[in-house]
Amino acid sequence: MISSIIGLVTLAYLFAGIFFVGAALWNSARLKSWARLLLFGGLAAHLGAFLARWVESYGVAAQHAAPQSFGDAVRLAVLQVPMSNFYESLVFFSLCLPLLGLLTFRRHLHGFLGSLVALFAALLLAYASLGVDSSIKPLMPALKSNWLLIHVLTAFLGYAAFALAFGAALIYLWQSRPGPAASKGAAAAAFREMDRLIYQAVVLGFIFLTLGILTGAVWADQAWGRYWSWDPKETWSLITWFVYAGLLHARLVKGWAGRRIAWIAVLGFMAVLFTYFGVSFLLSGLHSYLT
Amino acid sequence: MSQAFSDLAPRLWGFFTSIRLTVVLLLALALVAVVGTIVPQGEPAANYLARFGPDSGALLVRLGFTNLYGSPWFLLPVGLLTLNLLACLTRGLPQAIRRVAQPLSWETARNLPERGRFYLPADQDPQNLVCQVLRREVGRPRSVSPESGKIVFFLERGRFRPLGPYLIHLSLLLILAGGLVGKFWGQEGRLLLHEGETAGSFVLQGDRTKPLDFQVRLDDFRVDYYQQGIPAEFRSDLTFFRNGREVAKAVCRVNEPVTFGGLTFYQSSYGARPNGPVKLKVCQGEDCHQVEAPMRQALTLPGGQAQMMAVRLDGNLMGTGPAVMVAYKSGPGHPLVFWVSKDHPELAENPDTPFYQPGPQRLTLESLPFQYFSVFQVRRDPGVWWVYSGFLLCLPGFILAFLLPAQRWAVTLSQKPDGRWEGRLLGASPRAREDFAIKTDRVLMRLKQKL
Ligand code: HEM
Repeated sequence: MISSIIGLVTLAYLFAGIFFVGAALWNSARLKSWARLLLFGGLAAHLGAFLARWVESYGVAAQHAAPQSFGDAVRLAVLQVPMSNFYESLVFFSLCLPLLGLLTFRRHLHGFLGSLVALFAALLLAYASLGVDSSIKPLMPALKSNWLLIHVLTAFLGYAAFALAFGAALIYLWQSRPGPAASKGAAAAAFREMDRLIYQAVVLGFIFLTLGILTGAVWADQAWGRYWSWDPKETWSLITWFVYAGLLHARLVKGWAGRRIAWIAVLGFMAVLFTYFGVSFLLSGLHSYLT
Repeated sequence: MSQAFSDLAPRLWGFFTSIRLTVVLLLALALVAVVGTIVPQGEPAANYLARFGPDSGALLVRLGFTNLYGSPWFLLPVGLLTLNLLACLTRGLPQAIRRVAQPLSWETARNLPERGRFYLPADQDPQNLVCQVLRREVGRPRSVSPESGKIVFFLERGRFRPLGPYLIHLSLLLILAGGLVGKFWGQEGRLLLHEGETAGSFVLQGDRTKPLDFQVRLDDFRVDYYQQGIPAEFRSDLTFFRNGREVAKAVCRVNEPVTFGGLTFYQSSYGARPNGPVKLKVCQGEDCHQVEAPMRQALTLPGGQAQMMAVRLDGNLMGTGPAVMVAYKSGPGHPLVFWVSKDHPELAENPDTPFYQPGPQRLTLESLPFQYFSVFQVRRDPGVWWVYSGFLLCLPGFILAFLLPAQRWAVTLSQKPDGRWEGRLLGASPRAREDFAIKTDRVLMRLKQKL
């Protein structure tokens, strides 16, 4: 049931992505409203599937140890938030993309940016459905912590904001490529806007990533007796953090803007991807979802 | 000499306050961290020799790449970064405080850069319009009228913004300081306790024994499983003694450490060891023999064709109860490895489990006396509070630095001889120019359209 909803959501995002491109190329308001409808409809269903999985995994855990009081039940519900394995994290990451886009850049979530967001979300979901074990497993002892929710939530909101910045940076780099069309009138205004979006998304992502790292440190301190272990995932999230700290200083202190900032945003997102996927597949450590 | 020094000091100051140094150091640290994730850290030297070959392995160890975060490769850039942060803080903080301490005055406001002009007819009440527009778009302005026919409205948003970056930098310094305090004044080690055993010391990193000023006993250790055979909980019941008297009892679980006498105990791993002979029954058809199998000793089974060795013991394998792992070899070829369960001998017939025994002989357990041991991470870290206060301090820093942009606004009105009012919109927001430009355009449009 949930997996077929996820399948439909994937299709909705895919077509939303295609329609957004079509709407931008042919300047069609009709296609654009179709694309929006698909994106928002997909998002609503996606949110529904997420909540349904939450209820289901609560049910599985309650079977093992039924909560004795209301407080117990709330605590169990917090623990069972569906973000505890690779599949669930992919579904949540792809949920964050259109959600954050909608909450922060509603006015810009169309055209090529809307398309990139929708297609990236579709890609993540397709990978989750086809390539990853989706069964609900009970929580290992290390994951039974109230910090799980806030840590994963902030970390993935950060990743999603960086993904938005990456999308905006790609568009900026494409639109402002050296050539006759660049830097003239309306085009220049459009990519000044894109430049602003990159910065705003990076600020948002930086705040969330910082919160993610801090909550992770507090959790590690509680669970393992060390707030920092130089585990590969921690180390790579720190590297990512350095890259974006560099971007912010370059922009705020040195006044960099435009293509240079866009390139750093691209580099930063490569670090994000490595932190999320590369570390899980190539390096082993405390955070490995795959064992 | 003093000439050279007076030359050197400003140069050093320039070096340590430069943001270019910051970027270089962050890059250097990123590079160190990349190496640190490629070369596994803190393993015994033999592992590196085996993995990277004798020459490269020895080189890695000698260069300190196997303990990067304790080596100059890491400590030098971190030390420089600390100086860098300190220097930037010393330079910028007083200025930021001065700026914050001085609220916007109308004289300053009047000299802000101009963003546009607008004109109002003589019969319109200009005060009311300007107040309303500013209030709706920015905030409540103050106004003064330095001379008749001139009015200045002014207001300031995000006045405390300049402190934001310094709070963030200060919090980073606190975190770094906390790390240092932990490194030099903290203790970290391990404690292994068998069930029923009492300890008066633990083992620091580097295998030194550190006495405790109390005693701790492991009363009981348990692993619980979900139905799927996934561990649900590791639990150690501890009792603490001082001078032979029991003073406290506590349960230590993963995510629920126990603190006693200034030391914190974290459930870290566990195991089981036999505390008596492992007795097995080996049957071939109706023909059964009892054998006693000491751990990790090869044994020829009755009949002489097969050999076995008990390799490992688990107190509760995937929730099925005690089991022993056996390597079994009959005839040529590789030995088979399977588990023998004490409580569920029938699992030996199920090919989908690690208990499956293809035969020809069938092994069952007669007795498996064992005892759990539990391993704790033991720590005292006086630096944690520095680190945590750094965490807390950086939150207001982020809010100030990123969410409350500093904006200074002013509108001046002056009446022309014909009675018309000329208005000038002034303002500045040094760290958010683009957003500010959009905002000023909107305010100006409203002023021109008279709402
Ligand atoms: C890596 C973590 C760091 C973070 C998150 C961080 C954050 C910030 C932020 C948010 C700003 C505000 C920029 C502005 O003024 O608008 C800033 C400015 C600045 N940062 Fe950092 N910073 C970090 C490291 C450093 C380090 C290591 C230095 C060492 C010198 C440094 C030097 C500066 C300077 C000089 C400014 C300009 C301050 C000013 O406005 O006068 N930063 N930083």
